[in-house]
Amino acid sequence: MRLSDNWLALIFIALAAAMIGVTTTFPAFPGQKYGPALFPRILGAGMILCALLIMYRARQRRQEGASEPAIAVDPVFRDPVRLVSFLAVPAAIGLYLLLVDWLGFVPTCFGILAALMLWFGVRHMTALVVAVVMTGLLNWFFGTLMRVPLPRGLFMQLVQGG
Amino acid sequence: MTAIWAAFGLIFDPFVLMVIVLSAMFGLFVGAMPGLTATMATALLVPVTFFMSPVPALGAIVTATTMAIFAGDIPAAMLRMPGTPASAAYTDESFAMAKKGQLELNLGVNLVFSVVGGLIGVAFLIAGAPLLAELAINFSSFEYFWLACLGLLCAIMIGTGDPVKGFLSLFVGLAIGCIGIDPAAGFPRFTFGNIDLMSGINFIPTMIGVFAVSELMRGAMTVDEAGHMVQEKVGALFRGIGAVTRQYWRNVIRGSIIGTLIGALPGAGADIAAWVSYAMAKRFSKEPEKFGTGHIEGVVESTSSNNAALGGAWIPALVFGIPGDSITAIVIGVLYMKGMNPGPTVFLENPQFIYAVFIVFIIANLLMLPLGYAAIRGARRLLAVPKNILLPVILMFCIVGSFAMTNSPYGIVLMLIFGVFGWFLEEHGVPVAPLILGLVLGELLESSFMTSMIKSDGALIGFFSRPIAGVLGAANLAIWAIIIWKAAKSHRRAAVIEHADT
Repeated sequence: MRLSDNWLALIFIALAAAMIGVTTTFPAFPGQKYGPALFPRILGAGMILCALLIMYRARQRRQEGASEPAIAVDPVFRDPVRLVSFLAVPAAIGLYLLLVDWLGFVPTCFGILAALMLWFGVRHMTALVVAVVMTGLLNWFFGTLMRVPLPRGLFMQLVQGG
Repeated sequence: MTAIWAAFGLIFDPFVLMVIVLSAMFGLFVGAMPGLTATMATALLVPVTFFMSPVPALGAIVTATTMAIFAGDIPAAMLRMPGTPASAAYTDESFAMAKKGQLELNLGVNLVFSVVGGLIGVAFLIAGAPLLAELAINFSSFEYFWLACLGLLCAIMIGTGDPVKGFLSLFVGLAIGCIGIDPAAGFPRFTFGNIDLMSGINFIPTMIGVFAVSELMRGAMTVDEAGHMVQEKVGALFRGIGAVTRQYWRNVIRGSIIGTLIGALPGAGADIAAWVSYAMAKRFSKEPEKFGTGHIEGVVESTSSNNAALGGAWIPALVFGIPGDSITAIVIGVLYMKGMNPGPTVFLENPQFIYAVFIVFIIANLLMLPLGYAAIRGARRLLAVPKNILLPVILMFCIVGSFAMTNSPYGIVLMLIFGVFGWFLEEHGVPVAPLILGLVLGELLESSFMTSMIKSDGALIGFFSRPIAGVLGAANLAIWAIIIWKAAKSHRRAAVIEHADT
């Protein structure tokens, strides 16, 4: 999926303008000429300048007769299976964020690993074994060895009885 | 001298040696898997090394990246798929050699000259870094400002195809770096009252997002595609290496020197070093017509070059805190986390750490001979690890790793946002390396800029008032002049062509 250069530039102009807008709320310190707003404003101006150059080039290309659609969709994305595979990666991260505090690390990690592997066509038994082993390894390495406070959630409450 | 002994003591510790060997194996694996890069190996290592003391942490990164850059050559020759982008320059050449039945010679040459190139790069690092540090000790905010500018400018000029989009990416990275407490006045910027944002954008989850998650998203679409192996058995590896050395030793030297220099230039790393060296080998070759048909000469030069670049990249990273490539960009983040602010003072205060890095570099390159040999022997099994199992496992590792960097979901949220954003940018031809450099250098650039502005009371002439600052500033302006002149020339040429058409 690809926006035309024009739209890309417009997005960044909007972002830069918003950023400069926010800097107007920054305080000025008496006696100091250069405050916290100066550097972000320079950056915002730089972003806008780059975006304008990109738009200018796009305009020149159009004048030479090239046409660019507002959105070009890569043919790969027209294949629904591949599209789901692609979306599965961010979706898995989102799902993890939603579930992990409630369910706990172990079941969430196992579930996501197993589901992804099954979707990518790993054989059932292999997927199950790898998911169990990897969940155990990650939990041991990060949770026990490196003392990362992985969310305990429902699972550990059940295991440890409260 | 005592510092050197202290460094040896730090390295030859059973735990550190174990970390080095394990990260060597990790590096070989990641490097050999197409689609997993050396930068990604580093980003994945950081959560693991987070809890270690500085020496094993840096040792792990040095060793893993050294191995990964070599290991990328293995699938390049066997599958015509570069294991890391650093091998892309000579993948076709290597594969052509394999098809001619010279797989052993190719892999042997890759192994031996990766080691040689790596060692030459380290030699430059050992010789150059302390000298530069002595010079840098007198630097003030003016010099650092110009140096940071020069670094970013180089990154865009060498590292990206489209300078305008490169600059855009850089400004976005610098702007993201502004989030959090501002370095001059201590005012919280762009935090919108959020406590997580007050601490700034955590660097490691961002890197994991940009370099790993976006890659996984792309990889997920092609999970069922596998390469075809030309030859499954590998014979004697070191036969013929002597003859190659006698014939092409000049290429080894030139490749290593160019590699070190390109590595040391901010923003350009092993991959660009390999491309430049391959092109140079062809340019100066007596038989350029043989290039592309499975000729060893270009491989010799560029495989030396990409490993030399690794050592080179550490020179500006250690001396100025300016990363030479995206791997050292992560290293600088790690150094800050460990409370060792990179810069010339580290050479004075903690010389044993610097020596320890040097020693690890040498060990890693020597260790590459036996381990790399074993990796080539086991390549068939190594390359058979299915992507559809690997991808979910790496993704989960990224999630837990990002969580570990902040001990809160904030790390995972950052990783997700920057994974999608990084993919979006690359999809539109906007390179992501300048963004990361901007994020790393943002604070140095801003604080040196603000300090300089306050010192000179806003007079820009103050930025040129010291001799070294003046030279650096002039260099910056000269590069700008070249950029504008080039742009104007190509514009005029376009106009002339248009006239000719009408």
